[in-house]
Amino acid sequence: MRRTTWLQELLAPIALVALLAIASSLWVSSADQSKFQTAIVYVAIVAALYVFVGNSGVLSFGQVSFVAVGAFSAGVMTIPAGTKPGVLPTLFPLLRDHSISNVWSLVLAAGLGGVYAFAVGIPLMRLSGIAAGIATLAVLGITYNLLTYWNSIGPGATTLSLIPETTDYWQATVGAISVILVAFGYQRSRFGRQLRAAREDPAAARAAGIDIHRQRLWAFTLSGALSGFTGGLYVHLLGSIQTNQVYLDLTFLTLAMLVVGGISSLLGAVVGAIAISLFTILLGNSEEGIHVFGWGIKAPAGTSLVGVAVVMLVILLLRPAGITGGREFSLPSTFARPRLRSR
Amino acid sequence: MNHVQALIDAIGEGAVFALIAVGIGLVFGVLRLINFAYGQLIMVAAYALAFPGNWPDAASIGLAVLAAVVASLVMERIAFRPLRTADPSTMLVATFAIAYLLQNGALLQYTYRQQGGLGDSIGTLSGLNQAVTIGSLHIRWVTFLAIGAGLVSLGGLALILTRTSIGLQMRAASMDFRTARLLGVKADTVIMAAVAISGVLAAVAAVVLSISSTSVNPTTGFQETIFVLVGVVAGGIDRLVSATLGAFAIGFAIELVGTELPNSGATPFTSNVYMPSVIYLAVIVVLLLRPAGLFARRGQRTVERV
Amino acid sequence: MNAQPVLEVDDLWVHYGTVPAVRKLGLTVGGGEIVGLIGPNGAGKSTTLHAIVGLVPARSGDIRLRGASILGRKPETIARAGISLVPEGRRIFAQLTVEENLRLGLVARTGHNDADRDLGWIEELFPVVREFRARQAGTLSGGQQQQLAIARALVAGPDVLLLDEPSLGLAPTIVDVVFGALTDIRERGVTVLLVEQRAQRTVALADRTYVMTNGEIRMTLTPADADDTERIIAAYMAS
Repeated sequence: MRRTTWLQELLAPIALVALLAIASSLWVSSADQSKFQTAIVYVAIVAALYVFVGNSGVLSFGQVSFVAVGAFSAGVMTIPAGTKPGVLPTLFPLLRDHSISNVWSLVLAAGLGGVYAFAVGIPLMRLSGIAAGIATLAVLGITYNLLTYWNSIGPGATTLSLIPETTDYWQATVGAISVILVAFGYQRSRFGRQLRAAREDPAAARAAGIDIHRQRLWAFTLSGALSGFTGGLYVHLLGSIQTNQVYLDLTFLTLAMLVVGGISSLLGAVVGAIAISLFTILLGNSEEGIHVFGWGIKAPAGTSLVGVAVVMLVILLLRPAGITGGREFSLPSTFARPRLRSR
Repeated sequence: MNHVQALIDAIGEGAVFALIAVGIGLVFGVLRLINFAYGQLIMVAAYALAFPGNWPDAASIGLAVLAAVVASLVMERIAFRPLRTADPSTMLVATFAIAYLLQNGALLQYTYRQQGGLGDSIGTLSGLNQAVTIGSLHIRWVTFLAIGAGLVSLGGLALILTRTSIGLQMRAASMDFRTARLLGVKADTVIMAAVAISGVLAAVAAVVLSISSTSVNPTTGFQETIFVLVGVVAGGIDRLVSATLGAFAIGFAIELVGTELPNSGATPFTSNVYMPSVIYLAVIVVLLLRPAGLFARRGQRTVERV
Repeated sequence: MNAQPVLEVDDLWVHYGTVPAVRKLGLTVGGGEIVGLIGPNGAGKSTTLHAIVGLVPARSGDIRLRGASILGRKPETIARAGISLVPEGRRIFAQLTVEENLRLGLVARTGHNDADRDLGWIEELFPVVREFRARQAGTLSGGQQQQLAIARALVAGPDVLLLDEPSLGLAPTIVDVVFGALTDIRERGVTVLLVEQRAQRTVALADRTYVMTNGEIRMTLTPADADDTERIIAAYMAS
């Protein structure tokens, strides 16, 4: 029984993602399918965020910077080389005259996200608490500002469009599950366990010889690489993107998903992302009119976003530790095979 | 001579930032919470200011103050109070949810009003945008208003904090809430007082910001609040004075350096569009050198929540 | 002496997580008494005081002030009902002036009419608080800060004064001042519950002293036992 606990913990979030993908691809109208694909990409983004925030206990507002870097690098580099000089004439020649394939763009996104996170993390991971939160917010502000105005590396203040829309159900699901696998592997690794120990009791962890700065930096870098990768998935889903789509709104939304699900477990990250996404889709559809007991109800446009905010607030009030309480999944003991064990 | 003008404008901008900083700092003091919904509180006050249309200006301003105070008290009652003992990240995310709620609520009301354009006029108050000419200086009335309102509000607050019992209790609570409660300081009362005062300050900031942008929209106050949040932590959020100085410095720098730099040019750091990057970079450097804040006392540590 | 109980603790259990820190604790403090509570580090003395003032929740049992239960009340409510705690480590507000610290003591006071008269005898008892009125409290010496902390608690006009290791880290002459003041405080009609590490002095001063080890009261000593060092040591060891 003990040997299989980790398997339950891993399979639960994967099963949720797979279930969401299969169910929505089979039974949801084709008009709504992109919303469910977005939900799956959100799962990936939140799981990537969790790798740092969940394991270290340090709140970062900066992870969306790496999503942004991944999204724009993957986007810019996959626009066909033939059309690029026309739509993005101000790019550096190296970026303007070359294009890469979808898969390589995801690799590039992950690599740049990781490198950027590592570079930023070296100084910043010395900070903790509020100072860390605000410093990472400042990183996001810088990333957004540079991406919005420096038109040698991207579209500047205009919309980046003509990006191949390669993220389908298949890619989104495989991508999200890959992020979950890596996140889970890290969490159970020696490094992951050391960082979680430092989260619970920094003084004791230091006394036990754990280098907290180094462990946070590893998690930050891994989280940055995964975030970059999810940015690549995201941009290939959207097909066109502006910088404000990977800025404060996405930061608040993904952090809210993580906390609503349960900040200190991978299952919490996945459950939070799915729950908030489903509420958003459900309430969004009510704006197009739903029928309840023969009454047609049609909410005015914009109601759904207000509704999602209310739902988030209610969940936080009812379950301040999140839906999962920050715990991983385990079968109730009555379902598990009874076996006598001696401790 | 126009350097003098830029200086005065910069002081005006710094004054608005200082007002917002004090509103955020007061609530942080008693709740150990950075209220990310503070910008939306300013927005609510701004809409209340615009709502009456042709009332006398004083009445519109009164309504704005009332709306901000009520909104911030409601926020405290429904979200902050039940989550006071929860993990700090939970309360923080609750403020995201409130911000999201208010901002989308502001968008939604345009649907109900069936008004296409976003943005409400603030009526005769916008006349304060006219400039007075003193020698070669052209200074807008709203700049004087910002500086005056900043001085009066902060001076009034200083009197409340040092001369009244509730002010003393607020100061004690923000230094050591547990001991304050042992002395009979009522947690709910002190927190509500701080939250209500922060509402008044939000309304004052809303009046100045709405006048200087001449209209009100769902993002009124948002960008300023993000800069102020960064500024108060860089200044040192554990003391109201250092937090205010940090925010003032950022407002001052944005306005002063912003107007002196060219406003076009895409290469990084050649034009004022990169001003935010410069500010954020400076903040990061400050935090790395002095994590408790630039103006914090040496050896000061962050104290626990209630 | 009027020994009608002012503060009663009945079958009190306090847990930290699953670990019991205080078990089936019962004690009674009569009006105008000085009662001591001694025991080794980690015996649960501070936890008992924290439970009385509402800082930590009790698992079960009851705490009564003049016969009325105060269990589960907020700290500020209990303070206003007439229990003042002088916490361990003094906990004065270092950045406020001495006078402001004293004014905070007034917050818990229910009747403000005779505050000046009380302030008079309190300042007489601890002249340093009058002398350094305008100074920042953080600039006072440790002994002066302890006197300020007690004065601040007394300004509230409490029925019961709880002290958590007031002599900790103080010079012997200051310890004399603090212990001497307790007798005066009792004469003003304030009931005292004193938690201390200085066992012998506490036993000598108090009308009754409870000895606590491992969360439980093991023994009650009287001033007659003060010179019986062996008995006190034996009580400490009985765990």
